[in-house]
Amino acid sequence: MNLRNLVLIRLGVAVNLVIGQIVAALLLPVYLDAVGTILVAALIGPRAAIAAGLTSQVLAAVLSGNFTWLPFGVIQIVIALYAAAAARLGAFRSLYTALPAGFLLGAIAGGTAAPIAYFLFGGATAGGVTAVTTVLRAIGVPLHVAVGVSSIGTDLLDKSVAFAMVALILRTLPDQLAARFPALAR
Amino acid sequence: MIGYVPGDSPLHRAHPYTPLAWAGALLLVAFAVSSPAAIGAVVLAAITTAVVGRVVPSVVRPVLLLALPTWGLLLVLHGVLGPDPRIALGPLAVSQPGLTRALVLGGRITAILFAFLTVLATVSPARLVEAMTARGVPFARLYLLVSTLTLVPRMRARAAQILEAQQCRGLRLGGSPLARLRALGPLVLPLVLGALAEVDEQVLALDARGVTSGARRTPLAPPPDRAGERVLRWVLGLLVVAAYTAKFAGHGL
Repeated sequence: MNLRNLVLIRLGVAVNLVIGQIVAALLLPVYLDAVGTILVAALIGPRAAIAAGLTSQVLAAVLSGNFTWLPFGVIQIVIALYAAAAARLGAFRSLYTALPAGFLLGAIAGGTAAPIAYFLFGGATAGGVTAVTTVLRAIGVPLHVAVGVSSIGTDLLDKSVAFAMVALILRTLPDQLAARFPALAR
Repeated sequence: MIGYVPGDSPLHRAHPYTPLAWAGALLLVAFAVSSPAAIGAVVLAAITTAVVGRVVPSVVRPVLLLALPTWGLLLVLHGVLGPDPRIALGPLAVSQPGLTRALVLGGRITAILFAFLTVLATVSPARLVEAMTARGVPFARLYLLVSTLTLVPRMRARAAQILEAQQCRGLRLGGSPLARLRALGPLVLPLVLGALAEVDEQVLALDARGVTSGARRTPLAPPPDRAGERVLRWVLGLLVVAAYTAKFAGHGL
């Protein structure tokens, strides 16, 4: 791995960990904890994005103390592979292609997270998602369906916004800066 | 939430890989067992770890802060909203199988938190880096894990500065969800673009330190790795394999 890629992966990890601060200030119902992973996938490729995603997962656990998030690291791999493929296909060229591509990733990532949340944690994971699960369960929806619906529902919005953000970042990159990233799929 | 707590306990003196292996084994075994008694034993083992590390006062508070909300949600999801038959628990009639499941799931989370927060409190990051360097862990991995931890506070400070600067320029953080979503751009773009512009500078700095030479780095004071600890780590690995073999063979606890 060359030095530039290493520094970019580190930047992606930091973006994943810091962006939550901005989201919290805006009181948005999303996490955006994969923007860095998606950005690295678009700028470098899938292997670097997987490294960024898994490192983010470990460091997020270390910084928050919540090590029960570790099994969800597999979602970061799914996001990295999907985002790299989406970048190759030009999904980040405009918001019109980025939003549906992010929406589809939301369905895939939510569908991957739901079995982990259901089988390993009985559906009780992050606060917002579990609140939706509890409401659905209270109105009689079976637990496995409630976990699936809440997990996919929150990820649809989260990943659509994340893809839109990365498309915006790539489009806003000054040409001088963009020229330094040969793998950039604009 | 919790950092390294200096001390002289057996865990503080151990090779950093040993407490990490212990916590990792507890995490894996916690997911392999499914009876309240077995999970109780795992929780007890995790608490014992904190006792041996003499960090119980430092670890208990974050464990409770993180575990109690999950316990509450589990009791509602599985106890109150669980299937029949029901038993009386104070004024509530809760599901008996749901309560058992909530106990297992809550115990699992508590054990994981106790074990790993104890590791955070007893393993010195500097010793861990020395141990990894001595083992020949590539510089790239060390750099990603350790250097990012120093970058995060700087980026957080920068995010706070951007937030204040954009508010001074008239950016409103409130309003409808769509308005708040629109405010993301002016906050995230300067943060990420500013960091991307610094990449070349950081590459040059690393290059100047000879990172690309490929030579094996020499640790200054590598922690001793005693034979007993190496054996213990192998035993823990075998224990995990045994737990999953029993689980998949239908004899799990």
